[in-house]
Amino acid sequence: MHIKIDGIDVEAKQGETILECALRNGISIPHLCTHPALPPFGACRLCIVEVEGMRGYPTSCTTPVEDGMVIRTNTESLRMLRRNILGLMMLEHPSACLVCERRELCDRYRSRAEKVGSTTGCHTCNNKEVCEVRVLSADLGLAEIISSPKYHYRPVERSEPFIDRDLNLCILCGRCVRICKLHQDKPVIDFLHRGSKTHIGQAFGKNLHEAGCTFCGSCIDVCPTGALSDKYAKWHGAPDKETATTCIYCDEACALLIYAVKGKSISAKSLDENVPICALGRFAIPEFLNSPERLRSPLIRINKVLRPVTREESIARCADLLKDYKGKSFALICDITSTVEDRHVLRKFTNDVMKSPYFFELTPDREGYAKFENIPEEVTAVITTGNFIPQTLRNRFKVVVALDIFHTEWTKSADVVYPIAVFAEVGGTIVDKNNQFRRLVKACNAPGESRQEWEIIQDVAKLLSNGNWKEYSSVSEVTKELGIQDSSLTIGRKEAPDPARNLKLRRTWFRGHKIEEYVLGLTAVRKYEEQETLDVSEPSASIEERRISKEKFSVLSKRELVPNVYEFIIYAPAIAEKAKPGQFVIVMVDESSERIPYTLCEWDEKEGTITLVVQEKGLSSRKMIGVRVGEKLAHIVGPLGTPFEMKNYGTVVLIGGCYGIGAIRRLARELRNLGNRVICISEARSHYLTYYENELRQVSDLLIQTTIDASLGEKGHGIDALKRLIKQGEKVDLVVAIGCPFMMMITAEETRELNLKVVCALNPIMLDGTGMCGACRITVGGEMKFACVDGPFFDAHLVDWDEVRDRREAYSDAEIQAVSASKPVSIGLEHNHYNCSCMMY
Amino acid sequence: MDIAVDTMNILYERAQEEWREIEDNRVPIVYVGSATCGRAAGALDVEKVLREVVSSEEQEVKFFQVGCMGPCVLEPIVMVQEPRGIPICYAPVKPSEAEQFAKRVLLDGDVWAEKLLGAFSAEPYKGIPPITSHPMMSKQVRNVLRNCGLIDPENFYHYLARGGYKAFLRALEMGPETVLEEVKKSGLRGRGGAGFPTWRKWLFCRQAPGDVKYLVCNADEGDPGAFMNRSVLEGDPHSVLEGMLIAGYTIGARYGYVYCRAEYPLAIQRLEKAIKQMYDHGLLGENILASGFSFDISIKKGAGAFVCGEETALIASIEGYRGMPRPRPPFPAISGLWGKPTVIQNVETLANLPLIIYNGADWYGQFGNEKSKGTKTFALAGKVKRTGLIEVPLGITLREVIYEIGGGVANDKQAKAVQTGGPSGGCIPAEMFDLPVDYESLTSAGSIMGSGGMILMDEDNCMVDIARFFLSFTQAESCGKCAPCRVGTMAMLSILEKICEGRGEKEDIDRLETLAYTVKQGSLCGLGQTAPNPVLTSLKYFREEYEEHIKNKECRAFVCGPLISYHIDPERCVGCTMCAKSCPVNAISGVRKETHKVDQEKCIRCGECWRVCPAIYSAVYRKSGSRVRYEPVKERRKK
Repeated sequence: MHIKIDGIDVEAKQGETILECALRNGISIPHLCTHPALPPFGACRLCIVEVEGMRGYPTSCTTPVEDGMVIRTNTESLRMLRRNILGLMMLEHPSACLVCERRELCDRYRSRAEKVGSTTGCHTCNNKEVCEVRVLSADLGLAEIISSPKYHYRPVERSEPFIDRDLNLCILCGRCVRICKLHQDKPVIDFLHRGSKTHIGQAFGKNLHEAGCTFCGSCIDVCPTGALSDKYAKWHGAPDKETATTCIYCDEACALLIYAVKGKSISAKSLDENVPICALGRFAIPEFLNSPERLRSPLIRINKVLRPVTREESIARCADLLKDYKGKSFALICDITSTVEDRHVLRKFTNDVMKSPYFFELTPDREGYAKFENIPEEVTAVITTGNFIPQTLRNRFKVVVALDIFHTEWTKSADVVYPIAVFAEVGGTIVDKNNQFRRLVKACNAPGESRQEWEIIQDVAKLLSNGNWKEYSSVSEVTKELGIQDSSLTIGRKEAPDPARNLKLRRTWFRGHKIEEYVLGLTAVRKYEEQETLDVSEPSASIEERRISKEKFSVLSKRELVPNVYEFIIYAPAIAEKAKPGQFVIVMVDESSERIPYTLCEWDEKEGTITLVVQEKGLSSRKMIGVRVGEKLAHIVGPLGTPFEMKNYGTVVLIGGCYGIGAIRRLARELRNLGNRVICISEARSHYLTYYENELRQVSDLLIQTTIDASLGEKGHGIDALKRLIKQGEKVDLVVAIGCPFMMMITAEETRELNLKVVCALNPIMLDGTGMCGACRITVGGEMKFACVDGPFFDAHLVDWDEVRDRREAYSDAEIQAVSASKPVSIGLEHNHYNCSCMMY
Repeated sequence: MDIAVDTMNILYERAQEEWREIEDNRVPIVYVGSATCGRAAGALDVEKVLREVVSSEEQEVKFFQVGCMGPCVLEPIVMVQEPRGIPICYAPVKPSEAEQFAKRVLLDGDVWAEKLLGAFSAEPYKGIPPITSHPMMSKQVRNVLRNCGLIDPENFYHYLARGGYKAFLRALEMGPETVLEEVKKSGLRGRGGAGFPTWRKWLFCRQAPGDVKYLVCNADEGDPGAFMNRSVLEGDPHSVLEGMLIAGYTIGARYGYVYCRAEYPLAIQRLEKAIKQMYDHGLLGENILASGFSFDISIKKGAGAFVCGEETALIASIEGYRGMPRPRPPFPAISGLWGKPTVIQNVETLANLPLIIYNGADWYGQFGNEKSKGTKTFALAGKVKRTGLIEVPLGITLREVIYEIGGGVANDKQAKAVQTGGPSGGCIPAEMFDLPVDYESLTSAGSIMGSGGMILMDEDNCMVDIARFFLSFTQAESCGKCAPCRVGTMAMLSILEKICEGRGEKEDIDRLETLAYTVKQGSLCGLGQTAPNPVLTSLKYFREEYEEHIKNKECRAFVCGPLISYHIDPERCVGCTMCAKSCPVNAISGVRKETHKVDQEKCIRCGECWRVCPAIYSAVYRKSGSRVRYEPVKERRKK
């Protein structure tokens, strides 16, 4: 049949929708709730079109084509309606960044998302790089938010295995609900409540496991926002490589897509999006492979101690040890999770080089367990590719060469240990339960010196075979020799594997290692199954029961000022006594934690307390906000830094953003006491992110509030308000900007022409805070300065802002790894505004 | 085809016998209006007392619990029919008066003149005027409500005696095509609100391929203040079920559902009983009356979501899913319940069908005007003198309904507007009260017919507040599926709340209009598409009230609390200290016997001082913007 779209005649297929037909013919219609893997839904209303003869604006994703239809997809009224509808949707999503005039600059200056707890803007969103909402809002020209956005203050759900859920980002497209219905016999999530209280969740407030979730992760794959995220992968950014390979956790051998960043696997999902995979395949691969406990270097026993050595040394030692054990005193033990190619080479080595019949291929049981106890008595030297032999048999062997991924009792007692590449780190072929060949493709790099088994054994073989070893140069050569041709990736799977429907059927072991020991989420699942309480330690006693004692560094009060920003009042009389405006302290939450600098927002000499405003931005600040009232911090050093020079400047404008709103509080008060005219500008992305309004009003002659989305006070950044003030004739003698580097950078850049003195407070990574380590060094006016002792205040126009950013991000890979591998922390707030009747909810 | 008419005739004979006993009664009969509305007013207590009194005197009296007769304002209603007499209607008979009533009327045979409503006869009976001459009744045409209040709804024979199921028998004789033709000729349109021609929906479904088709009776009456369908289901359930038989037979349906909200327990109980009676007498099940037509009806209880009145959401709810609408096409008549062709009709539409088939389309066409035929029930409420359930021919003017049937504005205040169609409807100003009540006229005025809510507003109603009220309802009842409805109504509501709280900005009216347009055009289902109507019509007809709220911070109806300030008139205040004592925040200063004063900074505008100021002084007055209002104490106490 033929239909006309925007004046173009196109061929339409019976049964397809207008949207499908348009997309097939290269005509784009904006759409959001619809997804190729899902049946149409018609909820987002963005794909509306005009159809001649039909009333109103039908959604193209649900309307089937009819012969002779005349459709318009891009009229002025449609564009306006779509823009308005998206604008409405954005009232329930942190959307200020979408309408920010400096968003391109911001994207350039901070390309990576910050690892916050609650996301309240694009630059703190883990989904930033692949966000469909951002693309749509740019396409539709969303320029303003029509009404005041509503933030629902829903606590970020971070205590579930594998999945983080932040419903404050959810736009209720319903994709997760629909994919759950499609992929699971018993769907777990649905829409709850009505009206503006509608949200996604499980029935009766159950957690995911109680509700029967199998953690197939399909919901994450379809979520267009950052509302659902893979706990492990979320802060790694967009993957730079995707590889189709096969899962070898069990003999179902599901086809996978492995995503990698800089050669490191970060996530995996089913190759065919219509068929889910189990939690192991979906979530346990990257965390397992990237475990910090992986063996990285070959080890040999020197003077009874295992020591790291080079590849050549270890191979030489191996050959040296084994040369006297040819014949039946040698055995090689591997299991079928080694590739066919590996096993071929290993067998050849055993039979041809070592002249031994004892080549054992173990088949793991249902749980993935492969223990080997029936070793012939005469064997005294073994090579193993995993933790297969009971430690009790260790004394039988004179030589043990352990190829492995993790340290175990076995490897620790071995003579040579060699780290091996497994799983997505190797190429080759494996055999599934139907005896079909499946291809493994190398998707990521193995850590350190790890190599594939055949490569290691071949090196040993070369030394032991007197030149008779026929060398392979690549896996494919082995494959060819084996005559395997039809190894193909799993396509054709029609149904999900059993463990994807019933998580209890999952494998527990891989090469003799318990998988859950290296994958946090699996531990949580097992504990749920055994009905143990999770590691998320809840307050042992209620706030009344815990005596709040005024001990050094004890937290006297803690509250969430705005999402992700917390105010701490801490007992620290020595610091309170000596503190001066502009100084900071360095906090260690516990004995092993990072040292984090925080500006002193307020202090009370009499009470001996100091006030800090803390934003959650990574592992250490997450630990910090997890500290409960009554608990003690390990150390606080301070006051540090050069105090702000207090004198009468005339008119001083203090601009505070994020934590800086808190940081300008004391400064404003003391400057005003000295006779300055103090103008405070507090900037926030939206009305629900600004705080200390009354506090600042009390200490300033004029308080200006700005929001990016114009939901409170003036529209724009603090610098916009400053520029307006100057334009209106306000004579400004000094500007102090405290906030994130981006905010201070734009304040500096945009005041360059204005002949203003602008001072900013730099807050880079610090270690000792006393000018010794140099971690906080930055360049100001071409000179190297230490922010901790020369600062924190510097002339903003002289600061090298790119360097400030680069130094802040210097450790981001390690930080992300640390956050990804950290246990969930309960923020331990007695009152989080959820399910309560107070005005905040 | 041989229809087992004989079976029916035996039933009819039996019914006539029973009905004769009523018409030609040996002992007095007492009819107590015991629908939910009557019960709320204490009808069951009244009946209990009446029974006790007559049994203690060993008088033989027959009691019938009948359905709602309409005048809610006069509940509980009791009719007394003396032996071989005509029923005489008394109202209100409150539980406290029941004993006296029993003695005077039942035992002594008096006529209690003050409580007299009228006699159920065409002519005056023993000097008692006929009830049809009562001003509330005279303009009404009770077709759908023909049996309500007259028959025992749980007695199958009562319904038969009043001509029940004769229309179904006639339909079986006529055959589905002729029935469809007759319905088409009658001009019957859906009574659920949208007014879609009933025959057209039937035709689509009839023509849709498939063996299994469904008929659903939509009894999910959800408009706040509407109770038309409930009254019919409670007072005459068989009329709806007969309508279902006729509709099911015509469209070729095999199964029927009644989707009734669980908040109507009495309606559900009576429906269950009536359906059982139908099965017992062979009017449901396989091969009904040997006609070859098989039909089953079951009841599905809804959990009280407003959106489940929407056809596709209702279908989802019956199927066991969350009640969320889906986009159309495909229309339910093509692919509805479980993917099968489905026709969904409102209770009142179905109750009309037996009349059309039995009396013919021409008879039906005598009521109503050109495009809107027949009668329509309304729940008349608000500031009208006589509230209640009424049925009027379409085309009647709003003025007739409000002033003649409703008796005008309560307390003789000035009428401001009438709201029709519930939360999806709009407000029609008093200047337009000559508008005929029909589908097209109401739509052209920006409102809708809706399912039959009609609320009168007077000068004490703030139109901004009214818009806010209706929007808060739709906002809370939005299913949350599509953004325009879920977020749009929330955004509109927050602007209206802002205006009512005196924080309105001049751009807000434009914002409201933009939002209203987006919600109307962009929403998925009827709920969202009509949700802005109360705002749009009040903006259209009462824009100046919005502007007053925004510019002058003034609420002319003195409804929006934050815009009202309380003051003490020094001329009237004698310093009795009542106000100062009652003030919860000590905002009133002044000593005994001296003029008091309200500190506006401290005042939280609770109005307590204004409420307690003694009537003789009435010194506390209210101010909103430039308007000042003194009120007598009676009016103040009410608030």
